[in-house]
Amino acid sequence: MLLHTLNSSAQSAATRNCCDLLTAQDTVILFGDGVYAGLEGCATSQLLRDSGAAIFALAPDVDAAGIGTKLATGVSLIDYAQFVTISAKYPGQMAWY
Amino acid sequence: MAESHKTRTLLVFRHPPYSSSLSRSGLDTALAAGAFEQPVTLLFLSDGILQLLPQQDSTSLGKRNHGKVLASLPLYDIETLWVDAAALSDCGYAINDLPEAARLADQALIRDMLAQHDHILAF
Repeated sequence: MLLHTLNSSAQSAATRNCCDLLTAQDTVILFGDGVYAGLEGCATSQLLRDSGAAIFALAPDVDAAGIGTKLATGVSLIDYAQFVTISAKYPGQMAWY
Repeated sequence: MAESHKTRTLLVFRHPPYSSSLSRSGLDTALAAGAFEQPVTLLFLSDGILQLLPQQDSTSLGKRNHGKVLASLPLYDIETLWVDAAALSDCGYAINDLPEAARLADQALIRDMLAQHDHILAF
């Protein structure tokens, strides 16, 4: 059970590695450039969902990117306070950037 | 020839907006070139196309809205924004989602653009 934070773009090796290693017990938070990995039409969002992990995206970054209406189902928006709450639940974190 | 020939510059955008200052610098370069009536071509490759997505709202980040700046470029005589067609479809968007000035470029056209400009600046 691990928290993955992803702030690298969908094309990056970091994102591929993250998708490869996610398990259904994990949580992944998309922020910064990582939010694009949650786009409905992109292959990465399918990989994220296939992993069975819980998927969250940081709302301010989603708004900046302009993709709020295009996020894949199963990607839940969170604010900074919820980011902290989720982080506090996990003993370990892997930062993909 | 020497008098009438203006240097043609290609600006290549390869990074998403907001996370770094690169894309912002590219936009500023485009605006400066436009202000001095220097012909520039703008090409958005791979993650660079993300700068063109509609409905960007960067107020909570305290940064300038890239979508709005790009939409203002026709005022600076930059009428066309060339978009990497493959990258656009990879992220599930279509040309209709982008600003009116956007046009699709396939790999052959991108190669030609790289070959035919006097200078290339990559951001």
